[in-house]
Amino acid sequence: MGGQACVFYGAAEFSRDTDFAILADAANLARLGKALAELQGRVIAVPPFELKYLKRGHAIHFRCQHPETFGMRVDIMAKMRGVEPFPKLWRRRTTIELPDGLKCDLLGLTDLVLAKKTQRDKDWPMIRRLVEAHYFQNRDKPNPQQIRFWLGELRTPALLIEVARSNAGLARRVVLKRPLLAEAISADAAQLERALREEESAERERDKLYWLPLRNELERLRHSREA
Amino acid sequence: MIQPEQLVEAEWAEWYRLTPVQRWLESEKLWQTYLGFGGLLEPEPDTQSPFFDARASRPRAAYGRTGVRILRRGRV
Repeated sequence: MGGQACVFYGAAEFSRDTDFAILADAANLARLGKALAELQGRVIAVPPFELKYLKRGHAIHFRCQHPETFGMRVDIMAKMRGVEPFPKLWRRRTTIELPDGLKCDLLGLTDLVLAKKTQRDKDWPMIRRLVEAHYFQNRDKPNPQQIRFWLGELRTPALLIEVARSNAGLARRVVLKRPLLAEAISADAAQLERALREEESAERERDKLYWLPLRNELERLRHSREA
Repeated sequence: MIQPEQLVEAEWAEWYRLTPVQRWLESEKLWQTYLGFGGLLEPEPDTQSPFFDARASRPRAAYGRTGVRILRRGRV
């Protein structure tokens, strides 16, 4: 769901870990455990590979020891802030087939964008690239859902103004959900840029607050492991 | 209508014009080059990640193999 999904949708990330969003239930965890055993994946750091931690929103980190994947990191998550539960993600996934016939299921673009709204600097330019690429790829014949997605997620002032101008009615409706669209409707690029920065900053703050109890739990687990 | 070149550099604009599958295949070529140079799969520590643990162990290079090294560089 991470770096390679970003590449596919138009951003570019040379990410060396592999992130998986999974359905957190006992049977699925057992299957995953078998697959990781083939890669000789070992849990690094905390938390341990247990259902309860995945359900609480933690990520479980593995490092592979198999000679063909030596050092490769695999991160597993089942719950992400601001992102729908797994069954909905699964219904909205993108499936691709590689030239060798291998099929890969990727997090859908709208969900990937939501998952990237974190406290980390590197995720925000990524969101901008992902939505820009989608806009340029689809703007000639967009459907209403795509226009809504752009109005809701574009982070490029000039493009937001362009979309708001050509979809004024819809923009006025979406403004209730995303107030900074008012600046896009009035084509005030400077104000819009400021509002986008504020929007990002508020979202990053929400992410920090969300992680606060989880970070505390991780810290407690680290201490108890060291003790 | 705004063109990609008005917003991003030429390389990015070119990247945007690829289809998703073409981008995937291009990234595979980059991977082959990276691994060909001896690049390691272990990611850089992400200090802004909520999972970051400064005390976590990091592996040694596989089978004594080193990653990419700088052989020469300027003074700055």
